[in-house]
Amino acid sequence: MAELESATIPSPDGSANPPMVEMRGIDKSFPGIIANAAVNLDIRPGEVHALLGENGAGKSTLMNILTGIYQPDAGVILVDGQPVSFRKPADAIAAGVGMVHQHFKLVQAFTVAENLHLGFRETPLVVSRAILRRRTEDLEQRYSLKVSPEAPIYRLSAGEQQRVEILKALSRGAKLLILDEPTAVLTTEEARLLFRVIRQLTADGFSVVFISHKLDEVLDISDRITVLRSGRKIATVLAADADHKMLANLMVGHAVTPDSQQRPQTAREPVIALRRVTTASEQGVCGLDHIDLTLYSGEILGVAGVAGNGQRELSETLTGLRPPTEGSIDIAGADVTRSDARVFVEAGIGHIPEDRLRSGIAATLSLTRNAILREYPKAPLSFGPWLREKAARTFVDALLKTANVAAPSVTMPIRNLSGGNQQRFVVARETRVATRALIAAYPTRGLDIAATETVRSALVALRNAGVAVMVISEDLDELLSLADRLIVLYGGRVIGERQAPWNRDDLGMLMGGRVDDRN
Amino acid sequence: MTAISSDKLMPSPPAKRWRLHRLPNVDRKRRMIAYGLSLLIWFILVGAGLALASFPVKDIAIRSISATLGSSYGLQQTLTLAAPLILTGAAVAVAMRIGIWNIGGEGQFYFGAWAAAGVGLFLPEGPAWFMLTLMAAAAAIAGAIWIVIPAVGRAYLGISEIITTLLLSFVASFLVYYLAAGPWRDPVVPTQAATARIVYELPALDDGAHLGILIALGAVAVLGLFLNYSKWGYEVIIAGANRDVAVYAGIPIRRRIIEVMLISGLLAGLAGMIELTGVVHRLQGGISNQYGALGIPIAAVAGGSLTGVAIVAGFFAILLNIGVSLQTQGLSVHSVLGITGLLLFIIAAAEAAARFSFRRVATS
Repeated sequence: MAELESATIPSPDGSANPPMVEMRGIDKSFPGIIANAAVNLDIRPGEVHALLGENGAGKSTLMNILTGIYQPDAGVILVDGQPVSFRKPADAIAAGVGMVHQHFKLVQAFTVAENLHLGFRETPLVVSRAILRRRTEDLEQRYSLKVSPEAPIYRLSAGEQQRVEILKALSRGAKLLILDEPTAVLTTEEARLLFRVIRQLTADGFSVVFISHKLDEVLDISDRITVLRSGRKIATVLAADADHKMLANLMVGHAVTPDSQQRPQTAREPVIALRRVTTASEQGVCGLDHIDLTLYSGEILGVAGVAGNGQRELSETLTGLRPPTEGSIDIAGADVTRSDARVFVEAGIGHIPEDRLRSGIAATLSLTRNAILREYPKAPLSFGPWLREKAARTFVDALLKTANVAAPSVTMPIRNLSGGNQQRFVVARETRVATRALIAAYPTRGLDIAATETVRSALVALRNAGVAVMVISEDLDELLSLADRLIVLYGGRVIGERQAPWNRDDLGMLMGGRVDDRN
Repeated sequence: MTAISSDKLMPSPPAKRWRLHRLPNVDRKRRMIAYGLSLLIWFILVGAGLALASFPVKDIAIRSISATLGSSYGLQQTLTLAAPLILTGAAVAVAMRIGIWNIGGEGQFYFGAWAAAGVGLFLPEGPAWFMLTLMAAAAAIAGAIWIVIPAVGRAYLGISEIITTLLLSFVASFLVYYLAAGPWRDPVVPTQAATARIVYELPALDDGAHLGILIALGAVAVLGLFLNYSKWGYEVIIAGANRDVAVYAGIPIRRRIIEVMLISGLLAGLAGMIELTGVVHRLQGGISNQYGALGIPIAAVAGGSLTGVAIVAGFFAILLNIGVSLQTQGLSVHSVLGITGLLLFIIAAAEAAARFSFRRVATS
């Protein structure tokens, strides 16, 4: 990769225009972590510049420096060729750098117009609903971005909220727009719309920094791509010259081996069976509707479908978190319909929950306390009513080793771990418990390539050891590469079941609710 | 186009500068240093303030020390004050562990004192050790009973315990005022709005303080043992940190909430018995002397730690004692309150400051 390191890339139009923004030799470190080391980055007018890297590669830190949230330990920032110093976010905004964060910074109860004018220098002293609406409409027109001025934020979809954020940045004079993993929260359709907006903005001379770790969209939208790894810039390449494999290798630092581990033939025995299971629906989300489903040992069952069609209910029912209103559940022949989560864990059912921060780990508690969450009632972690501290320490050390997570201390709160490491931690903990079955909801969501790889191989290893594995995912590619059998959920029912070889079109139709006429 | 040549822009020899940064974890030693420093700052500020108002600072300091720790009488006073404070502080701290605020320590304190007084006044006479044990049990149970409604309301209906415990405090307090001034009033000395003297007294320790301090420390030690080293305590802490995770782990959250709240009420009730049999010896209005309410800042400063509660309660006892001695030396009640408040404020600030550290870094 040394030849890429020093490669000088000519500007797309061959002119010698200075970059709109340039960062040189940026260093930034936090206690125990070097987040950025000698990073150079230049962004030209009218380009989409992707910033690619795994979780913890230093993308967010670099952008936080560019937006004045952090100050670099060393290095300079130039805007239009002039050195600048951003001491606070307002400095960056004044220099035309705007950012749309992954988690939107909008007041949920306020309307779009109110959010746009909140803390805005140009907001008139006296405002009324009508004035705000008119000003918002002007802004919509000026930047040709449609929003609904009078709608409160909480009514809007993620895509619409994002447009408000973009308009907010533009209205404050942003010439460079930084989008932090903008598609992470969007549906496919919304993502397509966002790309259209980005293309139009760059055509109008705005520049966009596009942070992502999804290779497809990076190749699709950007003009140039800068890859970061472990806080260092690895390369800047023209998107036209790049492909998947090359970018993945740059990101990870070694060749990525693609999936498809063949499954060994083992005895296939039913582990958990749902019979005519129905759960209550709440607030417009449909519950399960008379589902019959059996998980078999030594098999990965993929659950496909558009989110909100009963996935959460299914995983919660299979782990004892949501008792069914009708029907029965049994584990290896024993009826557990009315049991709580503890019984399921003791029966050997592991659970990687859909939202690990909310329900998989207690963020403020130590690594040790989070590690023993599933096994503390048993020896060796406890003795009678007492916990055994020494055993817990051995346990957490072993767990961190399996999870391949390096932590400075096991007494620090688990929220100090990165998102990827938290997920590895949960996967390792649940894998230990899952002697019969593992229910994994979106196990690789938000993970980078390396972490995704470890999680997937953990699932495959478990399957090969004879455990029943169920994977819920919205990533069809992931399901196709992992699953032995696939079901599609639609409206709380299993609308179809398929074995390999897969037919994508057929699966796509099922996910859209087209009735299955093969069975 | 580029007005400045690039070599000019490369980082010059890095200048070192002090930067504030946040620590991922605060260890005990750091925290202790922070507390020590905050005390020092408080001494300086109070000393300077008193000096400016031309009080004899040195005299006041000497007398304050002798009134609290420097003399056997002072020490005994301090320990006597500390006993109920440790219990009411622990009552709030244990509830904090499961994310519950028991604001009504006052009420449970009153109700506990009431039950103990009832036993002492109306049951047939018995050996002192037996009657005292009975009174302690009655007070503990009464304290627990006084929090049953808030506990059930919280666990099953999600009713804010902050409001229910607080309001029930007034009920218990007025109940005691009513009884002491009315039906239970001392027939011998009816000028006093209090019951007759209760003959059973907590035995004195060597130095004159009563047994209450040992009871309080013992109760807190047992509780700490369970909270920190048992499965039950672990479940309480998980449920307090994240309800969803507790459900996920199959922890019976409602049961734990009720258990913890009952224990909380029990501790405050026991404090009422200790104050009654150790200090006041009669049931009377205002017997709580605000101990129930002081449990809240004590637990908050201790950060929910039981060891912390024992230390901070001792500290509050010293402070209350100093307050009394300052008042005898001409400081107004308001100044004393101000001085106490200042200390709390500085400690809270130190607690926050302990999370940060200065580091020398290179800057451009």
